[in-house]
Amino acid sequence: MLDNDPEKKKLMRDVVIDQIYNAATTDRNIVFISADFGAQSLDKFRNELPDQFIHAGISEQNMVDLSSGLSISGKQVFLYAMAPFITARCYEQIKCSLSAMNLPVTLIGVGVGLGYDHSTLTHFTPEDIACMRALNGIEILSPSDQKSAEVIAANAVTNPAFRYLRLERNAHDQIYNDEFIKCLDTGFYEISRGDRVAIVSYGALLHKVIAARDELKKAGLEVGVIDLYRVKRISVQKIFEYLSSYKSLLTVEEHILDGGFGGAVLEALADSGLQMKVKRLGLSDGFAVVNGDRDQLHKFYGVDTGDIISAVMELEKN
Amino acid sequence: MQINDLENKALWLRQELWKMVMRKGKGHIPSAFSCVEILIALYYGGFAKVFPGEPKHPDRDRIIVSKGHAAIAQYPILADYGFFDKSELTEYTEPGGLLGMYADFRIPGIEGISGSLGHGVGMGAGYAWAARSNQSFHKSFVIVGDGECYEGSIWESAMFAAHHNLKNLIVIVDCNELCILGKTDELLSLGDLKSKWMSFGWEVASVNGHSFEELLRAFSKVDSKSKKPLVIIANTIKGSGISFMEGKAEWHNKIPGPDELSQGNAEQGIVEFE
Repeated sequence: MLDNDPEKKKLMRDVVIDQIYNAATTDRNIVFISADFGAQSLDKFRNELPDQFIHAGISEQNMVDLSSGLSISGKQVFLYAMAPFITARCYEQIKCSLSAMNLPVTLIGVGVGLGYDHSTLTHFTPEDIACMRALNGIEILSPSDQKSAEVIAANAVTNPAFRYLRLERNAHDQIYNDEFIKCLDTGFYEISRGDRVAIVSYGALLHKVIAARDELKKAGLEVGVIDLYRVKRISVQKIFEYLSSYKSLLTVEEHILDGGFGGAVLEALADSGLQMKVKRLGLSDGFAVVNGDRDQLHKFYGVDTGDIISAVMELEKN
Repeated sequence: MQINDLENKALWLRQELWKMVMRKGKGHIPSAFSCVEILIALYYGGFAKVFPGEPKHPDRDRIIVSKGHAAIAQYPILADYGFFDKSELTEYTEPGGLLGMYADFRIPGIEGISGSLGHGVGMGAGYAWAARSNQSFHKSFVIVGDGECYEGSIWESAMFAAHHNLKNLIVIVDCNELCILGKTDELLSLGDLKSKWMSFGWEVASVNGHSFEELLRAFSKVDSKSKKPLVIIANTIKGSGISFMEGKAEWHNKIPGPDELSQGNAEQGIVEFE
């Protein structure tokens, strides 16, 4: 059993920063830059390693340009901000100053998807996967609990590369134990095996997918669940070795459907040569912006547990 | 180098650039020509540390031409320093060649990609911050255009460099008063650039950007006791050296025709070239 004691549920950002801090205490080339975004663990970093911390101001453009000069000079740089502001807000800088020179800088965005529920669209990232996955050479990772965040962060520290870590704002139930490390190469984790339908998801919605799976099990349906936490680069061959036994796929994302997570799965499916029916749940073009907490937003946008169950039932009819 | 030698070097650079661009019909002559003296003063005036044949020497100063249209002006200099073979200059823009219309990180001696404006000061600040952190004494010189100062990112970086007292960062504004569609002053005034930089906490020098005497005097402030980063506002003429291009916005990316080629050749003292 996994320990889901709320006291032990650290925020993903704290888990990730602790990993970076641990490495930074012995490697003074590690530099952490924040665009005025905090964390409990960051207070420790700032106080104890002031020479390795930079407050960039609320200036994401400069933060990214700055990181290119630092990275070329041999610094291992981690950039940290709220997810919408470290992606689309400074996309041009990420393209020209990082991607174009393939610099091993890690971008850490917090509060992905609808994480900042009551803050609405300026704080949502319904487009971050689409825009970031178009960047040449980037790796995009979406942990779903603190263990996956910890393993992904530890790997980002020891194997520097051009990466975007998509962190959840809130603490979620633990899904993984130390076993997660075994899937670092493939970029996905098979959470459960099913009969005819497999659901592919990531991050916060993975928890709803698991809830839906449990409900469907009560109704006698065994549904496969894959956590495709690395939406770029997808290990096409490997993932479809797992998926080839299914008749259909359901992708679930907290993102606009155009160019997003489900789109990436569809592209990978086409590249694999397999033919399967795929249904995508996510935000449709023209979605309205509404107030509400995250669960209410999931219902409104049709990506909640009930919607996942209905979509699976529909696919089961095929 | 003495001023006379620097002037000869500037003539050489204009000749090389003119030939490079005219051979292929590709490139932005006026933007490159406005910063010829700035680059020659930097590379040959004894202020920037450059190590012949060693483009990656750890103690080198980092020179970034952030106004990407003019990055081609570095190519003959970098070849002259033995960073790559001079034959690359005749291969400029050829498929598979090293040198393109904008500077690329793959080119030895180029410290960052260019072609999109507003990135160089932030990148230079990164080099400067890292140098200080690594207890290295090299400096970063970044050449930006005045038109480039429209980019907000420049001012984010200016604020950052001043806060961190990055006196090892030197920005030179090639202030040629023109952008693609006309005069900056008429299109969208940049205001008083000197006071703007000063109010951001920079040491400011203002010079005639075609005068070696004035440029060298300004560069001599680099090692002054001031803690502030230094910006040199270099007042220049876009297209300087080609009379029919000087101060004319329409020549930004226009390639001279046959008559203009002869006139340009004559003005640059070029008899003939392949």
